[in-house]
Amino acid sequence: MNIPPPLIGVSQAIESIRELIKHVSDTGLNVVISGESGVGKEVVAQNLYFSSPRKDKPFIKVNCAALPEGLLESELFGYEQGAFTGANQRRRGKFRLAHKGVLFLDEIGDMSISLQSKLLHVLQSGEFSPLGSEKDIKTDAWVIAATNHNLEQDLKNGKFREDLYYRLNIIKFYITPLRNRPEDISPLIEYYIQRYSNHFNTNKLLKPSKKVMDSLLAYHWPGNVRELQNVLKRVVVLKDWEEVVNELNSSSLPTNLAVKQSDESSIVSDLLDPGDLETKGLESLSLKIIKKKVLDRIEKEVISYVLGKTGWNRSKACKILKISYKTLLYKINDLNLEPPSTLKRKLS
Amino acid sequence: MRVKTEMKKKYKLLLIDDDKDILAVLSKFLRKKKYTVVTASNGLEAMKLFESEDKDFDLIITDLVMPHITGVGVISIVKQKRPEIPIIAITGWGEHPEALATESQADLVLKKPFELSELDNLISKLLSKNNNNDT
Ligand SMILES: Nc1ncnc2c1ncn2[C@@H]1O[C@H](COP(=O)(O)OP(=O)(O)OP(=O)(O)O)[C@@H](O)[C@H]1O
Ligand SMILES: [Mg+2]
Repeated sequence: MNIPPPLIGVSQAIESIRELIKHVSDTGLNVVISGESGVGKEVVAQNLYFSSPRKDKPFIKVNCAALPEGLLESELFGYEQGAFTGANQRRRGKFRLAHKGVLFLDEIGDMSISLQSKLLHVLQSGEFSPLGSEKDIKTDAWVIAATNHNLEQDLKNGKFREDLYYRLNIIKFYITPLRNRPEDISPLIEYYIQRYSNHFNTNKLLKPSKKVMDSLLAYHWPGNVRELQNVLKRVVVLKDWEEVVNELNSSSLPTNLAVKQSDESSIVSDLLDPGDLETKGLESLSLKIIKKKVLDRIEKEVISYVLGKTGWNRSKACKILKISYKTLLYKINDLNLEPPSTLKRKLS
Repeated sequence: MRVKTEMKKKYKLLLIDDDKDILAVLSKFLRKKKYTVVTASNGLEAMKLFESEDKDFDLIITDLVMPHITGVGVISIVKQKRPEIPIIAITGWGEHPEALATESQADLVLKKPFELSELDNLISKLLSKNNNNDT
């Protein structure tokens, strides 16, 4: 890929991000990009890289949250053969690979304190040494870090080193959540519908109605642009705005209960009947009701598993489940269990 | 001092601080001292002024902790492009930004609070030093 990912938006927030990119991309000064999940931190990092003189050199990304401390350290700095058990051959670290290019430290807020010290040392000295090596290697990597943490808060809690904070935060990007810049929603829809339409081979351009647009603008987008992308993919497949938007609003719980990552399902939103929540409010969160729902779900799975294994032989099944034949029949009815259609004909 | 600067050309200063009150107090004081003062309320705004053709600054005074482009960023960028322009960093934020400002070649780091007359003296000193070097 040799063009930057698009940075779509007409809001003042996005405009000033573009402006800031233009002014700092040739400086090589340390950058921190912060903002909620899915707001476009990586997009900004890539745009910085592509408008910099380093664009023909490597862009190396390290996710600091994905690896345990020890592994992350060897990932960053590399190691010599025999540096530790299992180090069968020498391995170059990301700092080395990013030489003259960009080292993108994603989720920097999740880095352990002790590794933060090591990183600080490298940034101060401009040198690092691979594990098991005596030699210091000079590094000229442009460090761009990103995080969805509030680092100022982490400073106060002692989770982030103050000296590292100041050393990294020479240039600061903050990308405001999508709900705070609703004017960007329309251009984003246009761009991604077009793009996904080509992708899924449908030519018809789907334009949202006024009513649909209003609810998209009012929605709080906890997963930001990534969530909007997911919505648009569904729209392109289903070719129906109304349905997707209704889904969106019914699956969205009051903000304090809402799932953080839009594409992660949560037990809470799973078990709650959104209709219930609307009519009965928070009363539908009663533990008694929830317990019954959870138990029903588990019972249903276990019973249908056993029935499947026994080929819907109910007398065998009730012996395995250690319940009476009558109870089993009752449960089959109560839980709406049905034999697979191939068996159905045989049974009746 | 004052007579001297009045007799020479009128120096142009770029003053950067995200605190509107400090910006107001300092610029009022420096204008009285017969400097031409251009103000910016953050580093990005300052860089735009710095890069525009007609703004040829003789000296820059910058706060350190600011949004977007911090004072340390401003100092580094200016010193990359125009190392001869003297820069005074003012800070009230403790040792870390201060050390970074020195590292990025700020000519002087002034800790808040300071006397206005002290700032005035330092400016004159830096400007005359620079003038002697130039000629
Ligand atoms: N302004 C934008 N214009 C176009 N696409 C965008 C924009 N912002 C984000 N996106 C898209 O949204 C998706 C999420 O963006 P990105 O991965 O940069 O988010 P992030 O802030 O790094 O999220 P996370 O914290 O979860 O890592 C990407 O596919 C990206 O291309
Ligand atoms: Mg990301």
